[in-house]
Amino acid sequence: MISRRDMLKTGAAAAAALSAPRLALAQEPAFAPKPGAWRDFAVTTRLDLAASGKAQAWIPLPSVREEEWIKTGRNDWKTNATLAEVVRDPKYGAELLHVVFKEGEIAPYVEVRSSFALRDRAEDLAAKGAVPALSDADRKLYLEATELMPTDGIVKETAEKAAAGKASDIDKARAIYEWVVANTFRDAKTRGCGTGDVASMLRTGNLSGKCADLNALYVALARSVGIPARDIYGLRIAPSKFGYKSLGAGSEIVTKAQHCRAEVWLDGYGWVATDPADVRKVVLEEPPGNNTVDNPKVVAARQVLFGAWEGNWLGYNVAHDVVLPGSQHKVGFLMYPQAEVAGALLDCLDPDTFKYSIKSAEITA
Amino acid sequence: MGPAPLLALALLCASVPAAADSLKADTLQPWTSEQAPLLALDRLDGPAVDLATLSGRPVVVHFFATWCAPCIEEMASLNAFSASPGAPVVLAVNVGEVEARLRTFFRTRPVVFPILLDRDRATMKGWNVLGLPTSFILDRELKPALKTEEPLDWESPAVAAALAALSPKAASPVQPTKPDKGETPR
Repeated sequence: MISRRDMLKTGAAAAAALSAPRLALAQEPAFAPKPGAWRDFAVTTRLDLAASGKAQAWIPLPSVREEEWIKTGRNDWKTNATLAEVVRDPKYGAELLHVVFKEGEIAPYVEVRSSFALRDRAEDLAAKGAVPALSDADRKLYLEATELMPTDGIVKETAEKAAAGKASDIDKARAIYEWVVANTFRDAKTRGCGTGDVASMLRTGNLSGKCADLNALYVALARSVGIPARDIYGLRIAPSKFGYKSLGAGSEIVTKAQHCRAEVWLDGYGWVATDPADVRKVVLEEPPGNNTVDNPKVVAARQVLFGAWEGNWLGYNVAHDVVLPGSQHKVGFLMYPQAEVAGALLDCLDPDTFKYSIKSAEITA
Repeated sequence: MGPAPLLALALLCASVPAAADSLKADTLQPWTSEQAPLLALDRLDGPAVDLATLSGRPVVVHFFATWCAPCIEEMASLNAFSASPGAPVVLAVNVGEVEARLRTFFRTRPVVFPILLDRDRATMKGWNVLGLPTSFILDRELKPALKTEEPLDWESPAVAAALAALSPKAASPVQPTKPDKGETPR
């Protein structure tokens, strides 16, 4: 394993490589999300639980209200539960469908269909606009530490080093983005999207993981230097129209296509899209795989994913440390279906055993 | 920088750090607290365990998670260590994961010590654990002795030397959970 010190050294060198003059390329890959036409989608989540005790379940519903890039629609469901109600998390506004089955239900099931519309995002970072200020309450919320994202100690120390010499929030936010891209690694062996235990990542020097690790690290680092930031937990629901196989859903079955992205609040720009974890995904997974950092597709993704993202991804919510209604259990984030049978939480990272499936469809009619 | 070194550097950057050789032998440090925090937790597929009942033998309290790559390698080392004659009692405290996931994990990596469940991370906080893995060693009177915040090579001579002063007396260790028919040990 590479030590933290070694990794930081490597990361510094990699950052230099990333900023080196680019080789002349015959054909630059196009990765250029731009706000344009809206696309309508529906995601259907179905749970079929084992009948071995009293059961209840929680399914995340699209609840991000950002009409520049997502418009939420209806949520319809069918179930043999005795209770089915939409519950809204009071702190973050995350919505979920909570279903409770009667004890002895032979085949507990629930199927939820959520409709929504998406389009690309791209901020013009060249000039500030007339964006209303972030409210004091939201600024406080998106600067605070969470269970897994401390904003002091090694997190703050790391962010201050990453953003050293930068004065403005936008320059600091970009510097931290570059630091995360240069110093972290996507680990294909990480289960699900990872855990997001930022302090453990930094203390052990193991800066590998997936989106819930790498983008949580970005958010924690940004918050630690006073820049409001948040993870958005969601789901890839369509292929990339820019030909990035690694940055889209591979089929209509999206049971394991969870993905979280991040935003930073920059005065004069508003919430700005970013996704350093997806840069590392392109490095590792974009065919043929194990790409070099100067691979044109990697370079294009790195340049774009601070300020823009493609509208082929559903954002469910921005919640952390969610206590599941009607349960003693708390989850670090609400991106997967959750269920409890006989008081024990099922493993949401094991959909075949759980069991659940998620399908997506673009509505074109 | 020319293309060749750039390529080599890039390949290095693109690779996932290998788990091998991550264990360290010399990171045990004095644990200078006056007394150990409380620890009484449910156990995966077994009765609850209270640290306070385990005096008479040194105890290792090891905080881990299955998503933590260094923890996985260390778990094998800790298991081999705990099975050696005269080894301290080992309590492995899982932080914040669901039991179903732990059963799946230990089905293919059985261990001889109990897995305790810090479901709400309260014990982790009480012990001021800032990252995983973290291990504490208490002497046979359950006084704080040593700690490390690194993945430890428990079978190394350095660890054996550090533990020599904490030689155990005969005591009844916590027995591992016996798996039910077709069930995972923990």
